[in-house]
Amino acid sequence: MLWNLERFMLLGLFAAVLVLFTVLPSTAATFPTAQNIRNVLSNESVVAILALGSMVPLVVGQFDVSVGATAGMAQIAVAATMSKHGWALVPAICSGLVIGTVVGAINGFLVAKARINALIGTLGVMTIIIGLVQLYTSGATIVTNISPNIVKLGSGTWLGIPPTTWILIGVALFVAYLLGQTPLGRHMHFVGSNPTAARLVGLRIDTIVFRAFVISGFFAGLAGALIVARNGNGDPSNGSNYLLPALTAPFLGATAIRPGRFNIPGTLLAIFFLAFTINGLNLAGVADWINNVFYGSALVIAVTLSAIVARHRAEST
Amino acid sequence: MGPALTVTQVEAPAAGAALRLRGVSKAFAGVPALIDASLDVRPGKVHCLVGANGSGKSTLIKILAGVYQADQGTLSVGGRTIAAGAITPGWARDEGLSFVHQDLAIFPTMTVAENFAIGTSYPTVAGVKIRWSEVNARCEEAFEKFHIRAPLDAPLAAISAAQRTMIAIARAHQAQGEDAGAPVLILDEPTASLPPSEAQFVLDMARRCADDGGAVLFVGHRLDEILFVADDVTVLRDGRVVRSGPLGGMTKADLVEQIVGRELEQPPVPQAAATDATEPVLTVSGLAGGPLHDVALEVRPGEVVGIAGLVGSGRSRLLKAIAGVVPQRAGSVHVAGSEIARGDILAAIRAGVAYLPENRDADAIFGQLDVRENLSATDVGRFWRGLRLRHSEEAADAQQSIADFLIRTSSDRQPIMTLSGGNRQKVVIARLMRTAPKLLLLDEPTQGVDVGARHELHRLIRAAADGGAGVLLASSDLEELATNCDRVLVLASGGIVAELRQPEIDASRLARLSFPHDLEPT
Repeated sequence: MLWNLERFMLLGLFAAVLVLFTVLPSTAATFPTAQNIRNVLSNESVVAILALGSMVPLVVGQFDVSVGATAGMAQIAVAATMSKHGWALVPAICSGLVIGTVVGAINGFLVAKARINALIGTLGVMTIIIGLVQLYTSGATIVTNISPNIVKLGSGTWLGIPPTTWILIGVALFVAYLLGQTPLGRHMHFVGSNPTAARLVGLRIDTIVFRAFVISGFFAGLAGALIVARNGNGDPSNGSNYLLPALTAPFLGATAIRPGRFNIPGTLLAIFFLAFTINGLNLAGVADWINNVFYGSALVIAVTLSAIVARHRAEST
Repeated sequence: MGPALTVTQVEAPAAGAALRLRGVSKAFAGVPALIDASLDVRPGKVHCLVGANGSGKSTLIKILAGVYQADQGTLSVGGRTIAAGAITPGWARDEGLSFVHQDLAIFPTMTVAENFAIGTSYPTVAGVKIRWSEVNARCEEAFEKFHIRAPLDAPLAAISAAQRTMIAIARAHQAQGEDAGAPVLILDEPTASLPPSEAQFVLDMARRCADDGGAVLFVGHRLDEILFVADDVTVLRDGRVVRSGPLGGMTKADLVEQIVGRELEQPPVPQAAATDATEPVLTVSGLAGGPLHDVALEVRPGEVVGIAGLVGSGRSRLLKAIAGVVPQRAGSVHVAGSEIARGDILAAIRAGVAYLPENRDADAIFGQLDVRENLSATDVGRFWRGLRLRHSEEAADAQQSIADFLIRTSSDRQPIMTLSGGNRQKVVIARLMRTAPKLLLLDEPTQGVDVGARHELHRLIRAAADGGAGVLLASSDLEELATNCDRVLVLASGGIVAELRQPEIDASRLARLSFPHDLEPT
């Protein structure tokens, strides 16, 4: 009973938010339009890719707080290789993916091999990245010579749906495949659930944790390329503002659909619940500060809820 | 139904008793653990409490600490009498009972002086700043009195285990010295994890606490230590006090007789394994590590070999060393002909070892996952074909395991933690058996398991052996060893001291043999 209520509570909240802003007089004219919905979908698909990437280390029981900064650095790489070095679109995007993957490998080495606390290790890496981006760009946004094709990717539609959303669907299917259909994915769940037991059944914990960080880094690189597509430039101040939504969503998502586990539908639901709520509030005229307050509260409430639910379940057995 | 929660001044304890227990009984789910136990601990004396595993020692200590509530009986401390069922941890502390448990409640990264001062109130300047000079002075004074030689500013992790124990005892003694009540110090197996040479320091320490006016209740099972340190001895057997009073001229043989209820006989000499036609599946020689030294043993296919021994004898450590979970210091382990490198879990698994850890929920169960996933933990790769996991095959195998191992669950998707302890254990054993192990290492396989499931687990263990696996079964339950093993090796103080074969295995013989006999105090 409580189980099912919990499972669909977030979905219910999401529906309530959609209905509220559709009928609310101050937002009724703009909120339910195709243009607005496409805009939110397109923007949030980038955040969602980052969130799904950061979910993989969470599944093995580790935090990656560098995903936002990594996406920011990959974004600068994609923009700069095109703008300053005249690279073609595809190699430029690849440079972003490579940078993301390398950062992921560094994080993975620090956590899995050097056995540094993941929160501290990735926080350090994040800070270094922010500094390097500042050094390279001197704080200036890269705007010239951005390929019009990548901008089209960020603003057009395929079959009425933004391309970034199509890419998100691809990423979601890949992560679902990885976690649900491969032995590696299952091993990640084992390590996250009980590292001691995982070691005793013969799993190589360091290898599994390392791979989780590499995957997270790769998707941060992809998200970086898509930020260029959305904005048509490379803005060095971008990146860190993606972190909170990307970490909040997996936790909030873990209270829904399959409560108690990080899961993909829950994470996506959480992303779009948060995004449409903020969008509606902004359209209703609430100032920008609401973004931070809302995301922060959602994270705290999500973690509190999961803790309460977990305790309930432990007591009821 | 419970005793009234009132402290009444019924009678002052008879002259000489700092702590007096009268008629204390306790049953768990109708099974008596302690029956009408009475004893007096006198000030200035060391009173030893001895008994085999399951004799009621732990129950008695936990009642004194307020962890368990007794069903009957009274406790008198310092002139105040309370129903033994009404003791709370707070009351015990207020009345001046200080406990030193095996885990010592110490903080390894903090300094010796800081550890010593915890629990007593720190002297402060204006209630805020700790006056370290005074802490250090008190510490030095106590160390001088108790002959503890440890630098005050060293982290506790850097000093020896015996000294850590002594500091914990000094701290407990100090804490009770502050108010004038009857000081009672309860030392719960303080030497269990120490080698004999270090244990001597702790025994001397207990003696000094008594000389300092304390009443010391010392729980132990190394008989030489008991004979060395005791003024008074209480022996528990099957929940009853067999004798309680001054040690007098008791010998070790007298003590053993009272503990196990029969006369001591000469321990049978470990014999070379029978020259069976089969090659041994496990050969261990010269194994050392932790408390273990020079352990040699063999297990043949189809054989269930038990490991008996007291806490600290090295039982768990032996299995862990064979499984490659902790590296051994010296010696070799061969499984089915291949040598297992030190601390190499993967090599052990590949050679055919399946290890069941003692602490099931912490070390073997994936608590957030369901029954099916827990069953597949070792072999999920088997279901990966054509670039995807064949979930229907995994489900079919899970249902097969559930049927074969009599796991009671509503479905293979039920969250593992909603199963009973016994059924969780069956899940772990089913998982181990999926690898078709040549050697099963089982550490306390029926701990925390109800009677029905125990019986089923024993059948599963025997079935594994009949299927050709060698089984090494470590247990603190001697009855379990006696009824399920073909052979039992007795570990004491890190070495194999005896080997029994059917039909000569029985629980009381195992109990007798488990007590170290060859330790003479130095």
